[in-house]
Amino acid sequence: MKELLSVDAIHAAYQSGVDILQGMSLTVPEGGFVLVIGPNGAGKSTLLKTVFGLLVAHRGRIALGGQAIGGLAPHTIKRLGVSYVPQELNTFPHLTVEENLRVGGWTLRREPKLLRERIAKVHDIFPVLAARRRDKAGSLSGGQGRMLSVAREMITEPRLMLVDEPTVGLAPNLAEQVYELLQTARKAIATTILLVDQNVSDALRHAEDVVMMNLGKVKAAGPVGEFGETRVRELIQECLLG
Amino acid sequence: MTPFRRSVVAILVAAFVLAPLPLFAGGYALHVMTIGFYYVILAASWNLLAGYTGQFSLAHHAFAAVGAYTSGLLGYHLGVSPWLGIPAGVLLSAALGFVLGRLVLRMRSIYLAIATWAFAETVHIYLTADYGFTRGELGLSVKPLWGNVDPLPYYYTFLGLTVLLLIGMRALIDSPLGYFMRAIKDDELRARSLGIDTTRVKVAIFSISSAIAGLAGAVYGHYTVLLTPQTVDFSEMAKIVIMVVIGGFGTFLGPIIGAAPVQIVMTWLQKYGEWDLAVFALIVILLMRFSMEGLASVFAPFWRRIWARHA
Repeated sequence: MKELLSVDAIHAAYQSGVDILQGMSLTVPEGGFVLVIGPNGAGKSTLLKTVFGLLVAHRGRIALGGQAIGGLAPHTIKRLGVSYVPQELNTFPHLTVEENLRVGGWTLRREPKLLRERIAKVHDIFPVLAARRRDKAGSLSGGQGRMLSVAREMITEPRLMLVDEPTVGLAPNLAEQVYELLQTARKAIATTILLVDQNVSDALRHAEDVVMMNLGKVKAAGPVGEFGETRVRELIQECLLG
Repeated sequence: MTPFRRSVVAILVAAFVLAPLPLFAGGYALHVMTIGFYYVILAASWNLLAGYTGQFSLAHHAFAAVGAYTSGLLGYHLGVSPWLGIPAGVLLSAALGFVLGRLVLRMRSIYLAIATWAFAETVHIYLTADYGFTRGELGLSVKPLWGNVDPLPYYYTFLGLTVLLLIGMRALIDSPLGYFMRAIKDDELRARSLGIDTTRVKVAIFSISSAIAGLAGAVYGHYTVLLTPQTVDFSEMAKIVIMVVIGGFGTFLGPIIGAAPVQIVMTWLQKYGEWDLAVFALIVILLMRFSMEGLASVFAPFWRRIWARHA
């Protein structure tokens, strides 16, 4: 399969001298569903932030479809077809559901007709967002809020969606809904997903490839079939015991 | 009816109510009302930046002064007509707003406030120090816009200007740029993670609000006919902040209903000297403590009831 994202030996830090990512590498195939797992502090969220340009890698190379994107600003990376769904619920509580969807359409701001079509498409997929379009996003339930934040990223029909721990703080049945939501998004707009998750056992059922991180680099990687429950447990033990 | 149309209807109704005022009121009342309109424009345009976008600038009065002095100096030194001087003032305010915005809008809250305040003080010091050119504290005399300073034509000028600018600002708030603004105010990092070019949005709003301040300042200068560096005194900025906070920070109605009463009460308090600001500071502290929403929150239920009946 053609590779969409390639991260090659990147180093990144919040504070100079303290690298969180220490030579991290991975590739994401076009149309794939890659799951990144690893213990706390492994640098999983940092990886997504660095790919999206919120943090700059001071060494290594990041490429999207062969084009280097390291050092570009988030809005430029967004325009190239990358979306980022951060870990915390990132809807705007004081804006209505519909305004929240429109805010996701920054790159379409000069194409109102296309924006309307995309919003209609998202409404078809998630009727509850259409029904509650005029309500403030702050009044949505946790699951609906997640739905809104994923739906909003679908507006621009990105090639790659970076999703950071979408099930944190959700009840198990809601967590399953979120994974289905991601699958829906993937089918509806033919996108690729790079998911970071702590909820390993549930996430494994949806992913195609797995990358395990530890201390800012890859500990193990391969197709999901190689990551059975026991193997994951062993790997995590190795990570924690050093 | 959309919120935009509702606001336009309300603005026009208010304008029609205020239009016949000169039939009943004397020159002094018209003068106070004209100043009131001037502050409505300043307060509303500052609210666009601080209330809707969350960028707490303390340079708004300086942009009004830039507009006023640009037109005033062009007239004084080159004999340029106010009808060319005013647009020049607007352009320079917008351009300075753009440049200052590019420099300071990456900063966060308190640093932004300090940097913009420093800019305002620089303008203040320049206007005072370069007295050979600006006439400094001696004051720069400016031609009146309508030949003389009878308040009547200025009352209508400012009424018309206020109506147009308020409708324009309402349209902006309801435009796509408007919800990008509110998204930035809600949470800038979130907005950035959505791929919104937040600096660009902020710089655009900063330029627009500076241009509006420059326009109000330039026209007002041709009414007061004497410009002094006093217009960049910090008390002017404080007044704008007080008007918006008392009226309702981040609401459309707030600066409109906050500006005039504050201006009128301040005019009345003038005989007590500097105490007027102290009185208002106390009111602002109390409002911040008990209700951030100001006077607008008192009117909001009536507003909703009016439209519910016609829905």
